[in-house]
Amino acid sequence: MAFTFVVPPELSAKEPPERRGIRRDQVRLLVIDRAAGRIEHTRFDKVGDYLRAGDLLVFNSSRTLPASLRGCECSASHGPCMEVRLAERLPDGSWLALLLCEQGDPFSCGLRAGMQIEFAEGLAATVLERDANIPRLWKLGFSISGTELVDLIYRLGKPIRYEYISAPWDLDYYQTVYATEPGSAEMPSAGRAFTWKLLLDLKRRGIDIAYIILHAGLSSYMDEEEYFVSRITAQKINRTREGAGRIIAVGTTVVRALESAASENGSVTEAHGYTRLKIDRHHKLRCVEGLLTGLHEPEASHLDLLSAFLPAEQIHVAYREAVARRYLWHEFGDLNLIL
Amino acid sequence: MFCRMSKLAGKNILITGASQGLGREMALRFAREGAAALSLVARHPDKLNVVRDDVLKIAPKIDIVAIEADVSKPRDIERIAATTLARFKGQLDVLVNNASTIGPSPMPFLLDYPVEDFREVLDTNLIGPFLLIKNALPAMIERGGSIINVTSDAGQVGYPGWGAYGISKFGLEGMSQTWASELQETGVRINWVDPGSMNTAMHRAAEPEEDPSEWANPADVTDVFVFLGSDESKGLTGKRFQAQENWKAELNHEERKAKKI
Repeated sequence: MAFTFVVPPELSAKEPPERRGIRRDQVRLLVIDRAAGRIEHTRFDKVGDYLRAGDLLVFNSSRTLPASLRGCECSASHGPCMEVRLAERLPDGSWLALLLCEQGDPFSCGLRAGMQIEFAEGLAATVLERDANIPRLWKLGFSISGTELVDLIYRLGKPIRYEYISAPWDLDYYQTVYATEPGSAEMPSAGRAFTWKLLLDLKRRGIDIAYIILHAGLSSYMDEEEYFVSRITAQKINRTREGAGRIIAVGTTVVRALESAASENGSVTEAHGYTRLKIDRHHKLRCVEGLLTGLHEPEASHLDLLSAFLPAEQIHVAYREAVARRYLWHEFGDLNLIL
Repeated sequence: MFCRMSKLAGKNILITGASQGLGREMALRFAREGAAALSLVARHPDKLNVVRDDVLKIAPKIDIVAIEADVSKPRDIERIAATTLARFKGQLDVLVNNASTIGPSPMPFLLDYPVEDFREVLDTNLIGPFLLIKNALPAMIERGGSIINVTSDAGQVGYPGWGAYGISKFGLEGMSQTWASELQETGVRINWVDPGSMNTAMHRAAEPEEDPSEWANPADVTDVFVFLGSDESKGLTGKRFQAQENWKAELNHEERKAKKI
């Protein structure tokens, strides 16, 4: 989308809301009413005012991994050390990862197939091959697998931290309150503002809740992603669609999973698959009618995804207002509800 | 083996402090009762692996994971939850907060209690369970689940010398009540059990001059934990149990009373 605007650096959320002196559910909320073409500004804990009994909120319950590991090339001459950012676990048990050299140019580590990388606590990995679709990513085979590998990743890893983040916040800050299975390289952050109190309040008001799992990869290198839609969630979605309720996706990952799992007529069945679905203005939404999401950068593919919901011009107007009103961007920032 | 019902069939269960004493006996008993999966947590990997092997002798097909971790460390709690939920595909039915420490032995009076030890006891016995419940809850809230906290009569009576331990159990019982009321409208229930005096390494260390032969064998107090973990206790939340008293009769009595009203 040819869509240009500038996010001033001071509008990047540098710390979690709880460390800016507000609660996690007190971030700001920009509401876009698509039908009325209206924009409203409110606070996230009032999100219930925009929802109706019968609506279904669908969350991504993937848990954030401490996906940043430090390793060094294992060779007689002590090879370079690097930050290994795990992006995604592949069906064969290997991992796609971004390997960034600690010294000099981050891409100068001389990566090649067969290279051995050593981590702490006896963990090792072999560089297998370059990814066919995203050349910056490499396939890694670890020396252990399964639960043992998960255990070691949680012992050794740190959450991936981008340059605008002010301090190495603990992994806990990178989790939604409802996260279950680990697997996301980056936090599925659109749902971060929800507290259990708010979720239980919404339920009491007749707004139902369902979960999918899509382990979010590195957003700058999004390609194929694995997703799960449970039978309970599929049933809830179909029941909501039969009634007058709306399916509201919490996060772009949920849009991707549900639109991948939905049939032509929008109904959903239990599913486990890998999706390469690209959602942009050409995509006709089958199942999802509303979206809660963060504020995205001008180049982000997430922004393309928004144009499946509303015309670029309407997004542009909303984003101009968000900049003017000093909304905060990124995973610890403010939110945008599109209905 | 005689024919019996599998009371815990299909259940995924997490037990802390599973390498010895009551935790070990619960693991073995839950395996006998047909649990589908066990996640066993303890600080000492050698003893923990022995329990894992013993469980596998009873139930060769059980899905079992042994996690070496210290519940007093928040980072370890996150790892326990992540590893368990990765293994159980995000589904947990029962959480037993059993791990606890008595602190320095012999147990000092509060007046003499070093603050570092006091903190360590609270970290293990109170903050650990708090964080583990927080981390495990998302895996239970949709399908329902049962949380069981292990307490002590020192959590109701301020015995001299039981300083930080007793205070941590008072806290655990209070916290359990708050959880029970906050979770009332969800399918997650929480109850707490005083196992009574047991002949365990921890109890022998706490009261070295007492005669441990008078105390119960931890294997003999596991009935109430099976009951609370199973669907038999569905709908039951916010209650304290004493494992060595006639809790079944008490429950029946209460049920009858409730029906009369």
